Amino acid sequence: MVRSVLRKAAGWVLMIVVATNATFFLASWFLDPRSNFRELRPVRSEAQIDQALAPYGLDPRVPVVHRWWDWLTSVVLHFDWGKSPTGVPVNGEVGYRALVSAELVLVATILSVVVGVALGVYTAARQYGFADRISQAVSIAVLNVPTSVAALAVVFVAIWLNQHAGLRFLYVAGENSPDVTGTLPVIGDRLLHLILPTLTLTLMGYVGYHLTQRSLLLDTLDADFVRTARATGLTCGQAIRRHALRAALIPTAASVAFGIPAIFTGAVITETVFGWNGMGRYFIQTIAKNDVHGAVATAAFAAALTAIGAILADIATVFLDPRVRVS
Amino acid sequence: MATDATPHAPSRPTSDAPARTAARPAPQPAELGLGRLYLRRFVRNRPAVAGVVIFLLLVLFSAFGGRFTSYAYTDADFTALTRPPGAAHWFGTNQGGDDIYACAVHGLQRSLVIAVSVSVLTIVVAALVGAGAAYAGGRVERATLALVHFLLIVPSFLVLALVSHRLAGDWRVLIVVLTVFGWMPTARVIWSVSTSLRERDYVTAARFMGVGPLRIVLRHIIPNLGSLLIVNLTLGVVTTVLSETALSFLGFGVQTPDVSLGTMLADGAGTVTSAPWLFAFPAGLVVLLTVSMTLIGDGLRDALDPTSVTGSAGGRR
Repeated sequence: MVRSVLRKAAGWVLMIVVATNATFFLASWFLDPRSNFRELRPVRSEAQIDQALAPYGLDPRVPVVHRWWDWLTSVVLHFDWGKSPTGVPVNGEVGYRALVSAELVLVATILSVVVGVALGVYTAARQYGFADRISQAVSIAVLNVPTSVAALAVVFVAIWLNQHAGLRFLYVAGENSPDVTGTLPVIGDRLLHLILPTLTLTLMGYVGYHLTQRSLLLDTLDADFVRTARATGLTCGQAIRRHALRAALIPTAASVAFGIPAIFTGAVITETVFGWNGMGRYFIQTIAKNDVHGAVATAAFAAALTAIGAILADIATVFLDPRVRVS
Repeated sequence: MATDATPHAPSRPTSDAPARTAARPAPQPAELGLGRLYLRRFVRNRPAVAGVVIFLLLVLFSAFGGRFTSYAYTDADFTALTRPPGAAHWFGTNQGGDDIYACAVHGLQRSLVIAVSVSVLTIVVAALVGAGAAYAGGRVERATLALVHFLLIVPSFLVLALVSHRLAGDWRVLIVVLTVFGWMPTARVIWSVSTSLRERDYVTAARFMGVGPLRIVLRHIIPNLGSLLIVNLTLGVVTTVLSETALSFLGFGVQTPDVSLGTMLADGAGTVTSAPWLFAFPAGLVVLLTVSMTLIGDGLRDALDPTSVTGSAGGRR
């Protein structure tokens, strides 16, 4: 059982490595760091531009395989993710942002799963009831709202609340206030800034879990083992929680891994709207500035988050599914 | 499609048929053609019909809405900057004096064309690759699945943004880019359904008759995925609208002289409270478009699925 989880984890790590390297080649082909220097005055010649890029491993005259090998060795040996076209080390930029974004993505994922599954169970037990129909309609509407629209709607409501209800704790810009000092106030301040982006991402993320969990549970509610459980004298709620839900959670657990890229994509837009200096916003900036190494580091971060989610999903599957434990 | 679904329409040995005809003598259910049956089941689903009506209205609006205003989306009216909706400018104007109504008509048209063509192309590619991989099996199947899984791990949005930053700007290029990086999830679904189809007797029979692999995929496997493909086509429009909006919102999709709903959302993002109409109209159009397509897709799924209970309204056909 431990071995099967380890084997799967190794497979995921391999996938991250392959994916990150493939992204390096894609970024090298599609991002052109030279274009940053062409707008500079006085005008540089092509040779001067290439010369300026050479120390950062971005010289286009060097074959791409060669640049890739230099980049790979520095990542593997020194965990150095390279430099931007202006010479800023990627590591310094990423370290802090990765924490900020990981916090956002993980909290949003956990909240989405909890809210979505709880709502799915609640509504499946009351199929075609009032609560079921209302939440179904709301979820289908939310499923179709682009993240940008949802984020801006949240901003609109928050500003309205701040103005009309006199609230002062809903921040619509930035990830911290600059003038707060001391450990506890800083933590509190960060948590307050976290509210709205997390709310937006949870809103976008819970829907999938709600709709799939509802239909999965509806399928198992008719199964023989649930009827048997009821026949042994369990109440409807007990039968759902102990027997039906346990079986219906397995596909959901597996799908959490593939839900993380979606949440990260949402985070790119949410961070842009809320002015967060996280990985999502960094990714936009790196692409706009043709920063090959920065873009690759972001892709690696996203792939790593997915892999962490997938490994956790595998472990959860082991706990939920006795068939996996036996084989 | 037809081979799979027709038998149960005319000649099903129905035990409850006499009772039903006794209750409702007027239409003989046995004489219902397949198309009529689907249509009837679809029309019974009220939200789906509402979806069709909304979608048709949106298409008409994008096609003929421009006739009702004297402004074009490229015209700037410097006498009216950031005006709220009024008689001269029905949806108001933005900071550059562009008429939001004209922009909305053009943007909706742009988004619709991109969404529909990408989703058609995506379905074609996904069906060929998914069904082909399932039928070919072995090494081809494993290699295809590895590629699909790779693009499920790295958020395909990142790759999209990376590639379209350099190539896009032109909406026709955006269509190609969105298709090239968007077919994987659908292909995976089609592959998993096709793996059961390839074991069917008629596929084996065709193979023993000496039919080539390409012909088997095109004539025997893909037609039997018909309903799945149609449903995914409509839901693909929703996915494409969402990713096109996101890309254009971040500045990687349709670029400034051109207008799509995503770029309009980006324009309105900074002035949500001071000029909400800049944001409200494109947001409303996007949501109407995606919700109508989802309703249509759900209605089609229920209507085309022979085992569906909701579509057949509790046993009725």
